Amino acid sequence: MGSSPGRKAFGRHEFWRTTAFKVTLIHILLTLLGTIVLSGIAWWATTRFALQQIAAEVERDTGVLLQSAQLGGPRSLALAIEARIAADPSGTQYFLLATANGTHLAGNLARAPRGPGWETLQLERPGPAPPGELLAFGTPLPGGAFLTVARDIAPVRALEATLLGAAGWVGGAALLLGLGGGVLLGRGATRRAAAMEAALARIEAGEMTHRLPLRGSGDDYDRLAARINATLDRLASLMTTLRQVTDDIAHDLRTPLNRLRQRLEAGLRSGDTQGASEAALAEADKLLDIFAALLRIAQVEAGARRAGFAPCDLSAIAESAAEVYAPAAEERGQALEVAIAPGITCQGDRELLTQALANLLDNAVKHGRQGGRIRLALDAGAITVADDGPGIPPEERELVLRRFYRRDAARSTPGNGLGLALVAAVAELHGMALRLEDNAPGLRVVLALPR
Amino acid sequence: MKILVVEDDAETAEWLRRGLSEAGHTVDHAADGRDGLFLASDGGYDVLVVDRMLPKLDGIGLVKALRAAGVKTPTLFLTARAGVGDRVEGLEAGADDYLGKPFAFAELLARLNALARRPPLSAEPTVLRVADLEMDLLKRSVTRGGQRIELQPREFRLLEFLMRREGQVVTRTMLLEGVWDFHFDPRTSVVETHISRLRAKLDQNGAAPLIHTLRGAGYVIRAP
Repeated sequence: MGSSPGRKAFGRHEFWRTTAFKVTLIHILLTLLGTIVLSGIAWWATTRFALQQIAAEVERDTGVLLQSAQLGGPRSLALAIEARIAADPSGTQYFLLATANGTHLAGNLARAPRGPGWETLQLERPGPAPPGELLAFGTPLPGGAFLTVARDIAPVRALEATLLGAAGWVGGAALLLGLGGGVLLGRGATRRAAAMEAALARIEAGEMTHRLPLRGSGDDYDRLAARINATLDRLASLMTTLRQVTDDIAHDLRTPLNRLRQRLEAGLRSGDTQGASEAALAEADKLLDIFAALLRIAQVEAGARRAGFAPCDLSAIAESAAEVYAPAAEERGQALEVAIAPGITCQGDRELLTQALANLLDNAVKHGRQGGRIRLALDAGAITVADDGPGIPPEERELVLRRFYRRDAARSTPGNGLGLALVAAVAELHGMALRLEDNAPGLRVVLALPR
Repeated sequence: MKILVVEDDAETAEWLRRGLSEAGHTVDHAADGRDGLFLASDGGYDVLVVDRMLPKLDGIGLVKALRAAGVKTPTLFLTARAGVGDRVEGLEAGADDYLGKPFAFAELLARLNALARRPPLSAEPTVLRVADLEMDLLKRSVTRGGQRIELQPREFRLLEFLMRREGQVVTRTMLLEGVWDFHFDPRTSVVETHISRLRAKLDQNGAAPLIHTLRGAGYVIRAP
């Protein structure tokens, strides 16, 4: 099938090369990073808060014990310590009252911190249990004794572990969800891109009428596909026009070429080369006229002439054109009525405007009624050329602007079917709106000037 | 007349050479712009026929170089590209006339004659005369045998165009360009109609016709 070369040129379909895959990957990485940062902050804040809580309790206990020491002396302090240990069934509170040289006076703590202030101590536990950690605060007492109050911070560590576990679960879940969602979304997008690509490959292979599939959801893929379809429609219509113009040219040039050939052949047969040459020359001139007109239309349509635009005196152009065609109208017994407002100007190409107006008048004289009236009017809004001939039925008004289109009724009159095509091209170049209207009876051509 | 043809297409050049020779002119030929410039600046030509597109030095460059060197030989451009822009560019470069290919040989002959006999601007006459027909350019009046003839402005211009070229062939295209400023063929009998009206006005009361039609070539005004 013709679609394979197109496919080959753009590489095979591999999921890891698609935009969807890349987007999914980036999405997952970002999710993971977010989870890690969030968990880190939560972990740090929570632990800090828990430790502060414990430190506050230690400070409060120290304060209470110091108060009892002040009131009742060392003995009362030792009693207070023992009482507190007894009152703590959970076994998370630790105390130590020792003399200056380290002799144990009271409490359940084996070792004192090295000096006054905060310190973290290792706690040896009996049995296989792992060593704990204590947050301890040492206070020197008057008289040389040293008081230590400590708390087990195992709950904080437990909280940390829980938090870490939770972070792991959240991260894992985010990873799974991101992956799953990414693959799902990505496959949808990839599938639609692949469908569009396949459709384009078919068009590329020559199925010019094929179009991209639409879902009707109006999402960005649909809008893109609709836009591509509209572009393809436009190209197709341009191609049709081009093909038709080419066909028309080939067909319409064949007729005069054939006549040329017949004339020459007849001359050779009859021996009247003089007459045949003259007739052939006339035919050749007609052909050259057609070519000149075609080239001119093409030149105008290409828009290159716009560079040479200058202010044009439309009134003078119209006067001149009216004068040129007055004798021709007179010959057909037609009255040429002229209503030209003076001093009307526009930006444009004087020669093209002259020729457009000349073509309109030429048509009016040729196709207008013999002995009828032709009206040429110019005002600030429009150029109007009207006749009272048979006119053009509405359904044909668009067609007569095409190259070589000649109405059946017009075939008996001389002309090459390019006059109105040039007028249309000139109007377009100058931003004028060309309208063919019913003059009841007859045809009225209006060239609306740009504002 | 002594004519220099600068044309790179051998067949066209030969066609021009033969046609102009048959019309009684002396023809030299250059196949590219540089040779053309060399021959033309040597002078001695009454008129130059220069193709627009030439190898080595194109027609525009050739004419510009000639004019810069002070050579004022009348020059006619031949070109396959006869759009408005091309024509203006050619005339601005210093060419005196412009003829699009393809063309009728009679058209070329008439234009070359008109170019070669163009009167110097300093000697601009104020009164034109052909036999007993007189045109006063200052008073804008025309008389024949002393009888005043009333002309429309366009008829006046048409007659002036012809009288300035007394005895020379003036083609239909030359009239359309010179009198109506139409650089395309309007496919009407406007020239014929205007000429016949002009004739009717000039040749009143059985006076001998002054404007003559040359079949396949154009018109000429001359004494009977």
